[in-house]
Amino acid sequence: MSTSDHTRVPAIDLEQVGYTYPPGGVGEVGVEALRDITMRVEQGTRLGILGPNGGGKSTLIQIMLGMLEPSTGTVRVFGDTPARARHEGLIGYLPQRIRADLDWPLSVEQVVAMPLRARTTGFAKLSSDAHDAIERSLELLQLQDLRHRRVGALSGGQVQRVMIARAISTRPKLLVLDEPMLGVDVSGQQRFASLIDTISTELGLTTIVVTHDMRALVAVADRVACLSRTLHFHDTPEGLTPSVLAQVFAHDIEPILGEVHIDAHAAADCDDPTHNHHHHGCDHDHESKEGGAS
Amino acid sequence: MSVFSAEHLPALIAGLGVAAIGAPLSVFVVLKRLAFIGQGVSHAAFGGVGVALFLGVAGASVAEDILQMAIVLAFSIGAALVISALGRTNRGRLDTAIGIVLSASMALGFVLFTIAESRHDHDEHGHAHGAHADEHHVIEEILFGNILNANWNSVWVTLAGAGVILGTLWWLRHRLVFWSFDEPVCAAYGVREQRTGNLLLVLLAIAVVLSMQVVGVILAAAVLVLPGAAALHLSSRLDRVMLWSLLIALGGTLLGFVVGDAAGWPIGPSIVLVQSLAYLTALGSHKGLGRLRSV
Repeated sequence: MSTSDHTRVPAIDLEQVGYTYPPGGVGEVGVEALRDITMRVEQGTRLGILGPNGGGKSTLIQIMLGMLEPSTGTVRVFGDTPARARHEGLIGYLPQRIRADLDWPLSVEQVVAMPLRARTTGFAKLSSDAHDAIERSLELLQLQDLRHRRVGALSGGQVQRVMIARAISTRPKLLVLDEPMLGVDVSGQQRFASLIDTISTELGLTTIVVTHDMRALVAVADRVACLSRTLHFHDTPEGLTPSVLAQVFAHDIEPILGEVHIDAHAAADCDDPTHNHHHHGCDHDHESKEGGAS
Repeated sequence: MSVFSAEHLPALIAGLGVAAIGAPLSVFVVLKRLAFIGQGVSHAAFGGVGVALFLGVAGASVAEDILQMAIVLAFSIGAALVISALGRTNRGRLDTAIGIVLSASMALGFVLFTIAESRHDHDEHGHAHGAHADEHHVIEEILFGNILNANWNSVWVTLAGAGVILGTLWWLRHRLVFWSFDEPVCAAYGVREQRTGNLLLVLLAIAVVLSMQVVGVILAAAVLVLPGAAALHLSSRLDRVMLWSLLIALGGTLLGFVVGDAAGWPIGPSIVLVQSLAYLTALGSHKGLGRLRSV
């Protein structure tokens, strides 16, 4: 990487970050999604953020992207505020659900070029640098042959590749992928992992992959952060013991999910006549329940 | 007298100006599902007319003409932004917000209109019967437009408005397309979603007010939907969709004038009927059917 200014600072620096969602309606109270998160992500890391649904993963991502202001604490992305880092094009982002309107008559190439073009107005044309970045993105995601195809005519997997190409077209230093492997089978996960590996290496990226799927995580990450409202673990994947996992997937979810009981409470629920509606979950381990919830 | 006579040249130019606005805007309106907002805003404009008449701004002079338009414009832009804000705070219940603003504006407009008219009647005793007929005529014109009333002043206002709308759409086209295509994500790339969305709504409100003079309150939203809706069935490339839309908007307007003239129909509704026919043709064409996708 040629960015000498940025090499020393961590890619992400979170200091006692907390977030409480504002009340949704009259008489309701705010929901605390994150509490006291302190974490440093060094540059070049491939961080997997693991946690149950409702554990605050997406909220944390929104804060890192500067799309949500933390209620407490500070966030630095490459030493800057997230909004500034974003403004400088340092962050590429793939949302959990692609909600783009694929009815738009736009080609793959047009979609990939969108973030760079959105910076231009009026008569301004894309620089040759920008053209190169778009070409490289198409190439890395193997989309050259599809460049003139309408995005609405592509398969789900192809659309996802287009969106990743769009995310890296601004030549970011940080790539954030929110649940990119939902509904992808095991062999697909491996292909996806090697794709992320290639992109990250080629572009010297710091990559953050959010997931609730252990297998997916181990395939891509060299560091793991376990998140369930608070940070339970932040280390290499080898340190992920069953007890850590049990803790992550059992603790602190109850107040967030309300009635849904998971794991440690499940056995008790089975004997409790007031929890009849949870019976279907008693035979499952936490992982299958989490998968089912998505 | 033919609608193509020199006397009606301003009407034709104003009509084509409105068509030129509707062409690109309707593509955004259709794809971003703003058609119902357009309806809401155009009906809100009726409330704006009511306010103007209530304040005694009846369009008796050029200055009053401009003032009346300014009041209606302010009212429409306000309505668009209120709809958008209500939709956001009301957990995305945009249709409810539109329904409320639309009916409240119509009700307000009609009440104020009646008050203004009764005041007018009071001033001119003995003409109650004639005034009543007038009143119906004025309301009809507001609701369905009377393009043949257009004078050179309306032409200049329309062309200026078209310049602002088309210029802004073109200048910010990449940002607007990004926002319309992928609103949840565009903020992550520095496109401010709320600001961009509000900008498009303001442009829509200006377009509605300009369209009103051609096709009236009820049909204003139609010319901001039909060309784009038809064009989207004719190509899968954005530049060609825009061209088709322009062709349908301008062609539909010209043909509307011809048909209206020949059949003795009002021009505004004739334009809407011709464009509706163009939409049905595009929808029914083999190409169009091939592109129909399940949503």
